[in-house]
Amino acid sequence: MMKTMNKLSFVIVLAAGLLFAGCNDLLEDVDPSTSISPEEALGTPDGVELLRNALYSEMRASASFTTQNLLGPSALADESYTRVGASRYDALNFATGTSGTAHIGSYGAAYNVIQIANQLINDIDPDAVDSGLREQVMGEAYAVRAYAYHMLVKVYGYEPGNYDIGPESNWNLGVPIFTESVFSVEDADERPRSTVDEVYNRISDDLDEAETRLAGVSNPTIANEMFVEGLRARVELFQGNWGDAATAAQNAIDLSPALTEDEDDIVEMFNENEAAHPEAMFLLEIDPNTEPIAGSNVNNGPAAYTSAQWVAQLPTQYVLDLFDADDYRNGWFKPCGESGCDNANDLEVASTKYNGDKGNLADDLPFMRVSEMYLILAEASVKDANAVTPAAVDALQELKDARNAGPIPAAALVDVDSFEDEVMDERVRELHMEGHRFWDLKRTGNHIPDPITGDIKIRFDSYRILAPIGNNNLNANSELEENPNY
Amino acid sequence: MLLVAISGFAGLAHAQTGTLTGTVTDESTGETLVGATVMILDLERGAPTDIDGMYRIDNVPVGTYEVRFSYVGYRTVTETVNIEAGENVFDLAMSMDAAGLDEIVVAGYAPTNRRELTGSITSVSSSEIESVSLQNAESILQGRAAGVNVISTSGNPGGAFKVAVRGNGSINAATEPLYIVDGVQMSFDQQSGLTSTSPLNAINPSDIESIEVLKDASAASIYGSQAAAGVVIITTKGGTSGQTQVTARAETGVRTLARNVDYLNRDEYLDYSAEGWMHRAGVPVTDEAAFEAFRADREAFYLGTFGEDPNNPGQLSDYNWQDFVYEDGVTQKYSLNISGGDDNTTFYLSGGYEDTDGTALNSNFSRVNLRTNVDHQVSDRFRASVRSNVSRSTQFGVCQDGNFVNCPTSQVMFENPFTFPFLADGSYNPNLAVATSTQYNPAVIRDEVEREIAVTQIIASTNLTYNAYDWLSFTGTFNVDYRNTEDTRYDSPIAAPTQGGYVSFANRNVRNFSTNLVGNFNQQFDEVHNVSGLVGIEYRQNYAESQLTRGEGIVPFFSVLSATATPAQAAGVNSEWRLGSYFTNLKYNYDERYYISFTGRYDGHSRFGDDQRWAFFPSVSGAWRISQEDFFDVDYISDLKLRAGFGLTGNSAIGNFASRSLYSASGTYQGGTAVVPAQLQNPLLTWEEAQEINVGLDYELLEGRVSGSIDYYVKDNNQLLFDRPLPTESGFTEYTDNVGKVRNSGLEFEINTVNVSTRDFVWSTRFNVAFMDNEIKELPDGQDIDADDTFESLKEGQTIGQIQVPRYAGVNPADGRPMWLDADGEITYTPTQSQDAVNYKDGFANTVGGFGNTFRYKGLSVDAFFNFSFGQWAFPSTDYYFTRTPDFLGSLSSETRDRWREPGDMTYYPRAVVAGSDFAETNNYRTQLGSQAVYNASYIRLKNLTVSYDLPQRFVDQFGLSNVSVFASGVNLLTWTAWPWYDPEVAFDTTDIFTNVTTASYPTERQFNAGIEVRF
Repeated sequence: MMKTMNKLSFVIVLAAGLLFAGCNDLLEDVDPSTSISPEEALGTPDGVELLRNALYSEMRASASFTTQNLLGPSALADESYTRVGASRYDALNFATGTSGTAHIGSYGAAYNVIQIANQLINDIDPDAVDSGLREQVMGEAYAVRAYAYHMLVKVYGYEPGNYDIGPESNWNLGVPIFTESVFSVEDADERPRSTVDEVYNRISDDLDEAETRLAGVSNPTIANEMFVEGLRARVELFQGNWGDAATAAQNAIDLSPALTEDEDDIVEMFNENEAAHPEAMFLLEIDPNTEPIAGSNVNNGPAAYTSAQWVAQLPTQYVLDLFDADDYRNGWFKPCGESGCDNANDLEVASTKYNGDKGNLADDLPFMRVSEMYLILAEASVKDANAVTPAAVDALQELKDARNAGPIPAAALVDVDSFEDEVMDERVRELHMEGHRFWDLKRTGNHIPDPITGDIKIRFDSYRILAPIGNNNLNANSELEENPNY
Repeated sequence: MLLVAISGFAGLAHAQTGTLTGTVTDESTGETLVGATVMILDLERGAPTDIDGMYRIDNVPVGTYEVRFSYVGYRTVTETVNIEAGENVFDLAMSMDAAGLDEIVVAGYAPTNRRELTGSITSVSSSEIESVSLQNAESILQGRAAGVNVISTSGNPGGAFKVAVRGNGSINAATEPLYIVDGVQMSFDQQSGLTSTSPLNAINPSDIESIEVLKDASAASIYGSQAAAGVVIITTKGGTSGQTQVTARAETGVRTLARNVDYLNRDEYLDYSAEGWMHRAGVPVTDEAAFEAFRADREAFYLGTFGEDPNNPGQLSDYNWQDFVYEDGVTQKYSLNISGGDDNTTFYLSGGYEDTDGTALNSNFSRVNLRTNVDHQVSDRFRASVRSNVSRSTQFGVCQDGNFVNCPTSQVMFENPFTFPFLADGSYNPNLAVATSTQYNPAVIRDEVEREIAVTQIIASTNLTYNAYDWLSFTGTFNVDYRNTEDTRYDSPIAAPTQGGYVSFANRNVRNFSTNLVGNFNQQFDEVHNVSGLVGIEYRQNYAESQLTRGEGIVPFFSVLSATATPAQAAGVNSEWRLGSYFTNLKYNYDERYYISFTGRYDGHSRFGDDQRWAFFPSVSGAWRISQEDFFDVDYISDLKLRAGFGLTGNSAIGNFASRSLYSASGTYQGGTAVVPAQLQNPLLTWEEAQEINVGLDYELLEGRVSGSIDYYVKDNNQLLFDRPLPTESGFTEYTDNVGKVRNSGLEFEINTVNVSTRDFVWSTRFNVAFMDNEIKELPDGQDIDADDTFESLKEGQTIGQIQVPRYAGVNPADGRPMWLDADGEITYTPTQSQDAVNYKDGFANTVGGFGNTFRYKGLSVDAFFNFSFGQWAFPSTDYYFTRTPDFLGSLSSETRDRWREPGDMTYYPRAVVAGSDFAETNNYRTQLGSQAVYNASYIRLKNLTVSYDLPQRFVDQFGLSNVSVFASGVNLLTWTAWPWYDPEVAFDTTDIFTNVTTASYPTERQFNAGIEVRF
C-alpha cells in the first residue's frame, strides 16, 4: 500500500514536470488585444488591408500632411494672415526676416508614412497574399512614398539649380533616404542626408513603379493613376525639367475629370455635400464623426483654421485684389463673421476652402486638383520653349474660361516673363490656401513678400527659406546635418 | 470533569503507559490559556489546552520526554518530563513573548522558524494588531515593519497605500511589492477608474494571523522576477483543535478629518483684499480712513459678485467650505468567527461586515466577507487544506488628486467664504468663485453625481499534502484570485448639462490563477547535520479585461444605459501574462549553530523577449548563532545570530508585450481599421534586476524580555528601463533599453521589550526605525533626464524626488515685493528655473519607523502606537496655487495673515495683492516656485490608541461566556508636524516614486471607535 502511494506521488511529480516542459508554448500563447504581429500584418490579406489603411489614416491623423500641408505655405508667404484674437499659424505670419524658427516642419510625420510604405513595398508575403491585392497595395505605397519624399525635399532642401541661392554655396542636401523596412533596433541605423538629386531620383523611380501597378485605377480617394501622373508633373516642375513636366501634366489632364465650368459647382467645389470635389485627382476621404484630422477636427482641422472655430487664417487683401468681379472664384470667399477680420483683408472675408461637414468641422481634403495641371502645363511649356507658345496660352485660357475669368490680359502675352507672372497670379487665384504659395516662390527664387506691408518678408537668399531639421531629429541621428545658420 | 474521570479510568487499564496532564497559565496574570499546544516531541503527539487551560495526553509509554508548550504570542518552552505509569501532572506558566526567535514565520512556500532565518524578514503578528481598527493589510504595515515605508495615497475609505520596501528601486517600471495572501499571488490589474482602491480590501484585517515582509534578496529571491520590490505575505487565521470558540465583535465609531486647515474668514479676507487694492492704488494701508473706504468698496464688489448670504440678507456670507465638504462619517463593523476542530480537522470560519462613511461628501466603503479556512488530515499521509475568502466591497469615491473644477478636495480651496452652496430658495447656487457654472457647485457634486464601485472578489487556495516519508512531503496547490470591479458613474443633467446627463459603466475582470507543486524535505544526520529545503514548480497566468460603456442623455427617473438617449462609448480591451517557474531552497545547518541557505528561482515570463525568456534569480545566505558556541558565555544574552546574504531578484513589470513587434489598431480610413507599426521588436529587453547584500544581527536578551534585529543592506537595482531615442527617419521615436541603476541602502533597527511583567501588570514596548538612502547611480549615457524639472529631474548622484527650486529670500522690507536668490546668491525678483534653481530638498523620507507601548493591568489594557516619517519635503500644489493669493478668489491660507503692510515690515509673506502678478518687474508670487513653496512633510503620528477592558471572569461566567471585553480605539488621533496643510502623507498613487508633490489629495481621516467583543 505504502509503495503504491509512493509510486503514485512520484508519478504525480513526474507528470507535472513533463507538463511543464511544454511551458515555453504556454508562455508564448499570449496575445495583445489591440495589436497584431508583423506576420499577421504582412502575411495575411486582412493584415495587408489594415496596414494599407494606415497609409491614409496616418496622413489624416497628422497635421503635417493635412492642415499644415494645405495652409502652412500660405501663412508663411502672403496668401493668408491672422485674425486679431486668433493665433493659429500667426508665428508663420510673423516670421519676418530672420526672426524665430517657425517654419513648416514635416519630418517625423513624413517618415512615419514612408516607413509604412516601405513595409508594404518590401514585405508583403507573396505566398500568403494574392498578387492582385499585393501589386495594387504596392502601387499605392510607391505613390504615397513619392508624395512624402517630395514633401520632405521641398521643405528641407533647395530645388536643383538653386543650390547656390542661400548662405552656403552648393548646398545640395536633401533628406536621408530609407527604402528598407525597419523591424528591429538594428534596422534603425543613423544615416546622413542624401542630395536633392538623389531624393528626386528616388521619387521618379517610385512614380515609375507606382504607374505600372496603378494603371487603370481612377478612384480619387486612394493613390491612383492620375495622382501619379500629377505628382510626376509637380516634381518635374520643381526640378526644372520643363518638357517632362508639361508632358506629365498633359497626361494627367487626359486621365482626370474635366474642369468644372458651372458657377454653382465652382462656388461649392469645397463643400462635400454640394459639388463634392469634382476636380479632385486625389483626396483624403474623412468621416468627421470618427476620423479626426490631426487628432481633433475642432482644434486642428483645416476648417477650424479657415472658416469655423478659430477662423484664424484669412485670405489677404493681396489675394482678393487679384480677382476680377465676374470671376466665379469670388464665391470661394464668405463673410468672416468674427471680430478682427480686417486685420487680413478689407472685405472681412474668410475662405470657404475646407468648409466643415455636418458641424464637425471636417470635410474631405483634396490634395491635388486638375486645375493645377493646366497651370503646370502653361508654365512648363513656356519655360521649355522659352517662348509664349500656343500650348501654354491654351492651357491657361482653358482654366480662365472655366472660371469665367476672362481672356488672358494682352500685357501677359508680351514676353515670357510677363506670361510667367500671369501664371503665378493665376496659381494664387486658383490654388490659394491649398499648399503651394511658399513653394512656388521658393522654387522660382523669389523673395517672400509681406502681405500687409508690401515689403519683403523673407529674402530669397535668406537661410530662412529652408526649414530647420530641428534638435529632436538631430539628437536622434548623429549623421544628420542641420541646414545653414540654424 | 467527567472527561477527566473517564480518561483516568482508561489510564488505569494500561499500566505500562502514563497520562500527561496539567494546566497552562499565563505567568503574569495567572489566567488559564485556552488553545495552547502541548507536544511530546519524540512521539509527535500532542494536545491543545481546553477552555479551562487543561491538557491531557493519554497512553504515553513510560519514559523521559521533551515536551514542548507553545502558544501564539507566548514564548515556546520545551521541558523534560518524566512519565510514570498513571497520571503525571505537569503545570506550566507561560510568559508573553516579545516576538522572539521561536516565532514561526511564513517565508515563502514553507513556514520556517525565525531561529533558522538567514534572510531579512519582518513580521507583524495578530497579537500586535488585534484591537486596531484599520481597513486593510497595507495600513497595518504602516510604521510596524522596519524599512517598509507606507504612505496613504488617499483618505477615501478603502483608499490605496504606497508601500515601498527599502526605497524606490525603479524609475519607469515602478511597482508595488508582490502581495501573497495564503499562497495566492495577488493581481493589482484593472482596478477602479473612479477612486483610489486596493485589491487587499477584500481581506478583513481581523482574519489576519500575521504579515511577513520579505525584505532582502535572500528572503525574496524564491519569488524571482516578481520580488525586486519586496514580498508581503499575508497569512490568515486557522483553527486549533479543541472546543469550538465563537467570537463576536461589534464596533462603531466616527471619522473626522485628521486636521483642518485654517483659512481666512470673511472679515480677514476683506481686510486682505482692501490692502491689495490699496497697494495697487499706491495708498498706504496705514491710512485708516482710506482702508475703510477700500474695504467697503471690496465688500460691495463681493456682494455684487457673489450675492448676499441667504441666511443674512444684505450681508456677505461667511461660509466654511471645509464643513460642507468634510462631514463626519460613521463607521460600523461586525464580525463573527467560529474556530475549533478535532485531531483530524480544524477550521476557522468568519464573516464580517463593515460600513464606513468617509468625510468628503458621500465617500464610503463597505465590505461583506466570508472566510472559510479548513485543514483536514485525510489519512496518515494526506493532509488537505482550504483557505477561501469571498468578499464584496463597495466604495463611493470622490474626485481627487487634481486641480479639477469638480473635485471636492480642491473645491475646498477653490471657493471663498463669500460663496455658499444653496440660494435662499434651496436651489443650487450657480455663481461660485471657481465653480462658475451650476454643474460644478460642490453641492451638485454631492447630490447629483454618483461614483460607485463594487468589487466582488474570490481569493482562494486549496492544497493537498502527501507525506511520502517522515522526511519528505509533497504539496500541490491551486490558487485563484478572481476579481470583478464594476464602476458606475451617474451624472444627472444638472451635473452634466452638455450631455444631458450620462451614465457610464465599466466592467473590469481579473482572472489570476496559479498552481504549484512543492517537495519539502527535512532530515537530520548524526544529530547535528540538519538538511532541509524545498523544490517546486509553479505556473501563473494573469488575465485582465475591461469593458467601458457610456450613454448620454438621461431620461427622468432612469439611471441605466438602456434609458439614455445616445450611446456614447463602447470600448473594451484585455491583456494577459504568464509565468512559469522552477524554484528551490536548500538549507543546511550544523547543530543549529552554523546555517547556510541557497535559494534559486528560474522564471520564464511571457513578457520577456524571445532571446531572454528565462531568467535565473539565485541567492545565498548564512547565519551564525554565536550564542550556541561553547565559548560564548554571556548570561544576559540568550540568543545572538549573525546573518549575511546576497542575491538577485527581478522586476518583471516591463509591460505585457514590451519585447514584441506590435502593429496597433489606430484610426480608420474609409471606415476600415488601420494598424500602424507601434513598437519595434526588442528581443533583448529584460526585467530590471535588484542585487542586494544584507548583513543582520538577531538578538534575544534577558530570557526573551528583549529581542530584535539590526540589518544593513545595499540594494542596487540594475538594468532599469529607460527609453532611448531612435532616428526619426526610422518611423519610431524610441525604444526601451535596460540601462539605468539606482542604489538604495539603509540601516534597520527593531527592538521589542517586556519592561515589566508581574502577575497583574505587564508593560511591553516595541520600536523600529529605518534610515534609508536613495541614489541614482546610472542613467542612459550619463545624461540628465528632465534636468531643469522642478520635481522630476533625474541626475546621477541625486535622489529620486530631488526638488530643484530657486531659493526664496523673503520680502523686500521697502516695498513688500517677494525676493529670490539667483544662482550666485544675489537677490533677484525674476528668477528662472533653468538658471537659478538649486538642489533644495527631496521627497524621499529617509527616516521612518514606529513605536508602541502596551500596558496591561489585570483586565485593562492600553496600547498606544506611533509612526513617524522624517526627511520628506513636498510641494502642496493646490494649496500653493490657489490659497496663497486671491487670483482665483479662492480660500486664503493663514500664511497671508503675516503679510507686509508698510515699509520696514520684515515678513515672510509679501504684501497683499489683487492678483499674484501685481508686483512690477517681479515674478508672479503665485506661480514662481521657490523654496517658499516646499514644505517639510515630516511627522510623528499617534496612529492607534486602544483601551480595552476584559470584564471580570466571575461576571462573564454568569452568562456562560468565556470572555467579554469592551474597547475604545482611535486612529490618527494626534499628529505632530510642521506641514501646514491637510496631510503630510504625500504620495500621488501607489507607484509614485517622487513623492514630492501633492495635489488636492483626499486627506487622512481620524477615527474614534468603540466596541465589544464576546467570546464563548
